[in-house]
Amino acid sequence: MKQNGLGHWIGFVAILVWCLLPIAWILSLSFKPVAETTSGSPQFLPRTWTLQNYKDVLANDDFQRALLNSAGIAAIATVLAVIFATLAAYAIARLEFRGKRFVLSIALAIAMFPVVSLVGPLFDLWRTFGLFNTWPGLIIPYMSFTLPLAIWTLSAFFREIPWEMEQAAQVDGATSWQAFRKVIVPLAAPGVFTAAILTFFFAWNEFVLAISLTSTTDARTVPAQLSFFVGSDQFNPPYSQLATASVVVTVPIVVLVLLFQRKIVAGLTSGAVKG
Amino acid sequence: MVSGLRGKRRRRIVAAAAAAAVAGALLAACGGGSDGRDTLVWYINPDPAPPADFQGAFGQAGIAERCSTDRYRIETQQLPGDSTQQRIQLARRLAADDTGIDLMSLDVPFAGEFADAGFLAEIPDDVASRLQEQGLEGAVNGATYDGRLVAAPLWSNIQLLWYRKSFADKTGVDPRQGITWAELIDSAEEGGGTVGVQANKYEGYVVWINALVMGAGGEIVTDLDQGAEASIDINSDAGRAAASVIEKLASSTAAESDLSVSNEGTVLGPFAGDSGAYQVNWTFIYNQYKSDEQVFDDLGWAPYPQTVDGQPSRPPLGGINIGVNSSSGHIDEALEAMECITSVDNQVTYAIETGNMPSSGAAYDAAELAKAYPADLLEMFRSSIDVAGPRPITPYWSDISTALQSTWHPADSVTEATPGRSAEFLREVLDGKRLL
Amino acid sequence: MATHVAQLSDRTRTENRLGRRLVAPAVVLMLIVTAWPMLQALYLSLFQYRLTSPDDREFVGLSNYVTALSDSLFWKDMWNTVLIMVVTVSVELVIGFAFAMVMHRIIFARGLIRTAILVPYGIITVVSAFAWQFTFSLNNGYVNSWFSWLPGISENTNWFGEHGTAMFAIMVSEIWKTTPFMSLLLLAGLAQVSEDMIEAAKVDGATWWQRLTKVILPNMRAAIMVAVLFRALDAFRIFDNIFVMTKGAQGTESSSFLTYRQVIEQFQLGMGSALSVLLFLSVLLLAWLIVKFFKVDLAQARGEG
Repeated sequence: MKQNGLGHWIGFVAILVWCLLPIAWILSLSFKPVAETTSGSPQFLPRTWTLQNYKDVLANDDFQRALLNSAGIAAIATVLAVIFATLAAYAIARLEFRGKRFVLSIALAIAMFPVVSLVGPLFDLWRTFGLFNTWPGLIIPYMSFTLPLAIWTLSAFFREIPWEMEQAAQVDGATSWQAFRKVIVPLAAPGVFTAAILTFFFAWNEFVLAISLTSTTDARTVPAQLSFFVGSDQFNPPYSQLATASVVVTVPIVVLVLLFQRKIVAGLTSGAVKG
Repeated sequence: MVSGLRGKRRRRIVAAAAAAAVAGALLAACGGGSDGRDTLVWYINPDPAPPADFQGAFGQAGIAERCSTDRYRIETQQLPGDSTQQRIQLARRLAADDTGIDLMSLDVPFAGEFADAGFLAEIPDDVASRLQEQGLEGAVNGATYDGRLVAAPLWSNIQLLWYRKSFADKTGVDPRQGITWAELIDSAEEGGGTVGVQANKYEGYVVWINALVMGAGGEIVTDLDQGAEASIDINSDAGRAAASVIEKLASSTAAESDLSVSNEGTVLGPFAGDSGAYQVNWTFIYNQYKSDEQVFDDLGWAPYPQTVDGQPSRPPLGGINIGVNSSSGHIDEALEAMECITSVDNQVTYAIETGNMPSSGAAYDAAELAKAYPADLLEMFRSSIDVAGPRPITPYWSDISTALQSTWHPADSVTEATPGRSAEFLREVLDGKRLL
Repeated sequence: MATHVAQLSDRTRTENRLGRRLVAPAVVLMLIVTAWPMLQALYLSLFQYRLTSPDDREFVGLSNYVTALSDSLFWKDMWNTVLIMVVTVSVELVIGFAFAMVMHRIIFARGLIRTAILVPYGIITVVSAFAWQFTFSLNNGYVNSWFSWLPGISENTNWFGEHGTAMFAIMVSEIWKTTPFMSLLLLAGLAQVSEDMIEAAKVDGATWWQRLTKVILPNMRAAIMVAVLFRALDAFRIFDNIFVMTKGAQGTESSSFLTYRQVIEQFQLGMGSALSVLLFLSVLLLAWLIVKFFKVDLAQARGEG
C-alpha cells in the first residue's frame, strides 16, 4: 500500500479546514457576549468568553418546542420515506412492470421542481384537509422530495445484489418475503442508511415550507423558528443568539454523522469505496 | 444474527417515532381553554426582550392579561420578527378565512391593503369616534382608509433628529431651531462627522424618501381611491428636492461607509463613536444609550430635519395598530378587547416597559412617563406624531414601496432623473406591464 | 407449449401487479405533492389574480408569459442564476475532484475526514448562509481583517454593498456547502476506475497528467455527469442563501427568488404561477442539455434497461 506523501497531508488539512472553519466561526460567535457583537468585533476569537447565550437560548420555550418538532418530523419522515423508497426501489431493480419508466420520470421531475411554487397550492390544500400547522402537513412534502434520491440510491444497491442470492434462499425454503427480509435487506443496509440520512438532513434543513405551512410552535421547526428570534434592538438580528441556536441545532447532526459516517459514505458511493 | 439485530433496531426506531408522533399530537391538542371562557387569539409582532429582572408578562402579553375578562381570555401568538414576513403570514391566512386569528398587531402600512381586501372587521361608528378622539392626528390618519377608521392605534413610532451636543456646538449649529437637510449635511462634513440614515434596500428607505417628499410639500401617490389607477406624483419638484437631498448625502463625506446597507441598527455604533454626529431614528434611541454614560449625557434631540427651507418637516410615522379579523368567530368580544388594548392606561404601561411611545395625546401627561423621560422630549414626541406624514394608505403600497426600492437604491445612484424614472417604472408596474 | 406460455404470462402478470403495488405508495405521495400544484400553477398562470383582491380575477390567456419573457428583470435574474450555476458547479467540480483524489488515497484518519466531509452537507442552509453573511459583514466579519492585504479588499469593504462582491459572497457560501457532497459522488466514480488500467498506463510511460485526462476522467464520465446534473439542477434553484444574505438586493436575485417574491410577497398568483412554470421548464431544458452534452445514456448510467 502506498505511503501517504506530503501532498496527501496537505490535502487532508485543506479538507479539514474547508469543512470546519465556518463551524468554528459559529462556535466562536456563540461564545461572544451580546454587547461585543452589537458594537462590532471583527476578530475570530471572542474577546471575552461567555456561556450566557447558551443559557438564554436553551431556556427559550419556543426554541425547545421547535427542536422537538424538528426531531419528530424529521424522524417520522425518514422512517416512512425509507420504507416507501425501499419497496419502490426493489420493484424498480428487480421486477418488470408497466409504468416503470413513468415512475422514474416522475422521480426525476420532482428532483427538478422549484419548491417555491408549492407554497400556495399546498397551503390551500392543507387548509382544506386540516393539515395546516400540523406535523403530517410537513412530513408529507418532505417525504415526497426525498423519495427520488432515496429510490435512486436504493435501486443502485438492489441491482448490485445478485439475483442468485434470493433464489438460493428460496431454494432453502424461505418465502419471497423472508428472502427479502433476511438476505436482501442486510445487504442493502448501507443504501438504506444513505437514504435515511438524506431524508433526515432534508427535513432538518428545510426552510421555505416550514415557514409557510406553520403558524404556531405546534409544528414550527427550527429553521423557521430562527426567524422569530428577537434581539436587544428590534432592527438587527440577534447574532449571538442565532449563532448559539445554530450550534445547538448542528450538534445532533455532527453526532449522527460521526456514528454513521462509514455506512453513509458506503451508501453514497454505492459500496465502491472500501471502509 | 446480524439481520435480526438490525430488525430489532429498526423496530425500536419505529416505536420511538410512533411515540413521538403521539406525543406531538397530544401536545398540539393541549392549549384549549379549560375554564369555559372563550379564547381570543391575538397575533402580535415580537416585543423587545424584557430586562433580566422583569417579573410577569411583558409588553403586549401583559396587555393581553390585563384585558382578559371573565367572559374571555386573550392569548398571544408570535409573528415573525420581520415586517414583510408578518404581512405575508397574516395575509395568507386571512385570505383563507382563517378563524384562528381574532386580533392582530398590524404594522402601519398594512392597513390599506388589509382593509381593501376585506380582512378587517368594520369598526362601529361609536367606537371609531372614541378612538379618533383619543388618538393623535398623525396616528389616526395612519389607520384610516377610504374615510373610515379601520384599526385602532396602539403605539406610534416617530423619528427625530438625534445628535451629539458636543458636535453641534463644535460646528455652531442648533438643530432645535429647525434645520434643513442641506445644512445638516454641511455641518457634518465640516466637523468630520457622519449622518446616520436608513438606506438599505428595504421599507425603511422608502420611509425616508416619503418623509423627504412630504417635507417638500409633495406626495408619492395621490387619488388613492382609484386603486391601481392612482396618480403618481413623485415626479414633481418635491420629488426632485428629495432626490437632491439623498444625492447630496450619498456623495458627501458625511455618509457612513455602509450606507447602502444601513438600517436603524447599523447606525447605532458609529453614532456612539468618535465620528458620531447626527442620526435620524425612532424613539427607542433615548433608552438605547442609557448604558453608555458618555454618549447619553451628550445626547440631544430635535424635530425631524426640513427638506426645504421654510417648509415644516413631516416626520415619518410608524407604530402598530390593532385590527380585528373579519372572519373571527368572536367579533363583538374582539372589538371590545381592541378598545381595552388601546386604552390610555395600557398605552402608558406599554410605553414604560418597551419604550414604544403612545399614540394618544392624553397618555403623554401620565406621571409614570414623566418620570422616565424628560418633559421636552415627551413634548417633542407628541407634537411630532401630531404632524407626522404617514406613508400613503393604499392596497398597492407594497408594490409602490418595492418599485421605489428598486429604482432609488443604492443611494449613491440617485440623481435628479431618479424621480422621473421611478414614476415611469411604477406606472408600468401598477398597469401590470412590468415585473417587480 | 401452451401451458408454458400461460405460465409465463401468469408470472409476468403477478410481477406486474407486485411491481405496481410496491411503487404505488411512493408514486401516490410524489404525485399529491407535485402534480396538484403544477396543474394549479398551469391553470392560474392564465389569469391576472391577486390574492388580496380575489374578485378582480380575470382571464388573460398567455399575457403573463409575454410580460415575463419580455421583461428585463426576468432575464437579469435568469442571467444571475445561470452565472451562479456555471461558476459554482465548475469550481465545485475542480475542488471536489481534488478532495476526492485525496480521500481516495488517504489511509489514515478516514473516519475523521468522512465526518468532516458530511458536516457541511448536514448543516441547515439558513445557518450556513447566516454564518457566511456574518463572515463577510463589515463590522463583525473576519474576511476584511484577514484578507485586507489582497488588492481590492480593504478594512472597509462593504461586501454586500455592490453586485459583484455580493454575488461572490453568495457563491462562496454555496460552494462551501455543496463541494463535499460533490466530492463524495466523484469519489464513487473514481473508485470504480480499475487500478489495472492506471497501472498499464504508467507502464506505458504516461505522465500523471496524461493518466488523468486519458484514463481516469473518461472512465468517470457517468459519475461526473450524475454529479454535475444533480448539482446544476440544485444550483439553478438557489434560494436560501440569497434570502438570508442579501434578500435579492444589489441585483443578486435568482429566478427562484423572483418567483418567491411574486407569489409570496406580492400575492400575484397569476404572474407567480407563470414564473413557476417557466422556471420548471428551464430546469427541464437544462437537464436535457446536460445529458446531451455528456453523451451518456441516462438509463445505462443507472443500469436501467
